Amino acid sequence: MNTYPVLDIEHLSNNTFRLRVERPDIAIISGQCFNVGIPDLGINREYSMYSSADSKYLDFLIRSVDGGLISSELQKLKPGDLVEVDGAYGEFCLKDPLNKSLDYLFIATGTGIAPFHSFIKTYAKIKYKIVHGVRSVDECYNSNDYEDGAYISCISRPNSSDNPRRVTDYLRSSEIPVNTQVYICGNRNMIVDVLDILHAKGVSGDKIITEVFF
Amino acid sequence: MKIAISYPPIINEYGQKAMVSQNRNVQFFKEPTYLLPVTYAQAATYLKEMGYSVYWDDGNAQLKTFDEWLDDLTKEEPDVVVLESTTPVMKFYWNTVDRIKQELPNCIVIMTGYHSMRKPEETMKMCNADMVLRSSNVDFALHRLIPFIAENDNWRSDYQGDGMLIRLDNGELRSTGDFRHVEPLDSSPLVDRDFVQWKNYAYENGNFLQTPGTYASSVIRDCMFGKCTFCRYNGPDLTFSMMSVERSLDEYENLINNYGVKEIFDDSGVWYRGKEARQFAQGIIDRGLHKKDCYFGINTRFEYLDEETIKLMGEANFRFVLLGYEAADNETLQRLNKGYQLQHVEDCLRWLTKYGLHPHLTIMVGYYWQTQAQLDKTVSEVKRLMLRGLARTLQVTLCTPLDYTPYHEECIKERVLLTDNYDDFDMSKLIVKTPIPHDQYYKAVREMYSIAFHPRFILRQLVFLTSFKKRDWQFLFTYGLRAIRRVRQHIYNLTRHENSTTTKEFF
Repeated sequence: MNTYPVLDIEHLSNNTFRLRVERPDIAIISGQCFNVGIPDLGINREYSMYSSADSKYLDFLIRSVDGGLISSELQKLKPGDLVEVDGAYGEFCLKDPLNKSLDYLFIATGTGIAPFHSFIKTYAKIKYKIVHGVRSVDECYNSNDYEDGAYISCISRPNSSDNPRRVTDYLRSSEIPVNTQVYICGNRNMIVDVLDILHAKGVSGDKIITEVFF
Repeated sequence: MKIAISYPPIINEYGQKAMVSQNRNVQFFKEPTYLLPVTYAQAATYLKEMGYSVYWDDGNAQLKTFDEWLDDLTKEEPDVVVLESTTPVMKFYWNTVDRIKQELPNCIVIMTGYHSMRKPEETMKMCNADMVLRSSNVDFALHRLIPFIAENDNWRSDYQGDGMLIRLDNGELRSTGDFRHVEPLDSSPLVDRDFVQWKNYAYENGNFLQTPGTYASSVIRDCMFGKCTFCRYNGPDLTFSMMSVERSLDEYENLINNYGVKEIFDDSGVWYRGKEARQFAQGIIDRGLHKKDCYFGINTRFEYLDEETIKLMGEANFRFVLLGYEAADNETLQRLNKGYQLQHVEDCLRWLTKYGLHPHLTIMVGYYWQTQAQLDKTVSEVKRLMLRGLARTLQVTLCTPLDYTPYHEECIKERVLLTDNYDDFDMSKLIVKTPIPHDQYYKAVREMYSIAFHPRFILRQLVFLTSFKKRDWQFLFTYGLRAIRRVRQHIYNLTRHENSTTTKEFF
């Protein structure tokens, strides 16, 4: 049984939380995901890791979705409870993280920022910019963890008098060098729209890697 | 402009036909199954709706010989021919491309399919194809490409859409980069059933308990998990997109009410789960489609569907549920990146059976690391599940590295591949070095298929009759006979290499 104790749970907004569990004794590459389940429930769901690949624990950034059996049960967990963790899986990883000449553009919506948070915690020297689409300011999770000026939030329903902005608005008005390595993670509609914009700006498909959250 | 979407008939030396469509692992069968290639059918529908002349050309389903097929294609004089291929028939396809180019020198031949998309340069070298499409999203790619070709004489040098390897007029190859241009699945049209002659695919299909049956326009393109190492739906060139529930329900309603379909199978790599699965099943009930004597079938994964969802699916008249049960040992599941744990297998099967669904297990044997102990465990677990009535049918295949999936690449890297002749990749024999003789795997295949004739299995089916569900009676009397025929074919195909020197000499 691949069960591990919950070490901590931090509620970041009404429906989003960071779940910290004991790390399985396996090789992990930053950006990979795990299947996470509640013991005896018989189902699991995939979540990307939020923490560094070198951490002594595994963090997941999870949004509790309406009708989502796993996410709503995970939200109720307390330290010491057990979760099933199976993995690590996937290839949504940096191809050449030690190459300092590469510029990375990370584009995410909501909890799709999880693998990018893991990247920057794992590879301290990469040059990056993160464009994060969220509905409200309270969804700018751990925004202080990023380098000064590297985190750009696009808030579609801002609290103040700020103009609402989407990831696509930002990208349309930005210059994107064609050699930028682009990673996109999150809602599939956003990904489709962003691919159109990147294509129009001359960024080749060879430079783009996507991971759909569903 | 006329576009042919073509499937040449492929017949082997034993007179067996190969199925290529719908991304199947090619296997040759005397009594073949005709599967509607859904994405290509959507592509054909899309192009037709755009006003192009489209020639739907499935030589297999239309029961043509190769010569008849080529003759008919030549007479049609298409401007573009689109072919779908996979590893075991690459050599056949390369020859076919050259035959087409011989007969129709000005025709543009586009190669698609998972093998070509992963090794596009190889195909361009081995035949005179004009282009390789490096994407499984054939409908969306052609939707962009064909109008460009129609309007631009210099399309070879000027086309900018991604995911193409194009032969230029001077013979050089031009790549337009990796395919990333995925569009919302709802943008692709639902299959025009009349246009693709749906009845050609409605009867000869072992998955249908009652006919006419059909395949739905898949609700998922590629796979939402997409990490199993042996599977084509894996890799950075693939992504995942999902059709809206209401749209799929509309199609089911149309198929049942206007076409009289009695069984609908959605061949998405993995069907909806969670909220969408419940919405779909509830939608079937709300529209009254569960009372129209039509069964529904899907592919799913262990640990994807919870009991509440399965219960609702039972009420909605779902029947056939296909689950990959690749092995009964954790090491193999981990090496394959399967993403489920063995302790949950029984829960899922119990729920499915409890609510009247018919679970179908797809098992594989012959991984290059598989020991006798691992093989024995798989056989005994499969036997246990079948004899306890937790699964109703099964299918066993020899794990064959194909289409440069991660498992295929791993076999090359580990130097365990016994052949590099693509003709040998037809799943009729093991082609990897294994820790035990190949005959042991063939024996296991026979043993698992023979469960269908075990007195306890037959008794279990008789016990199911006491539920007085029509499907259980059909299962025993209609499906049973068909199943025996198919089991004999599978055993013949999978074990005809038993005791052959070609496999033994490698130990």
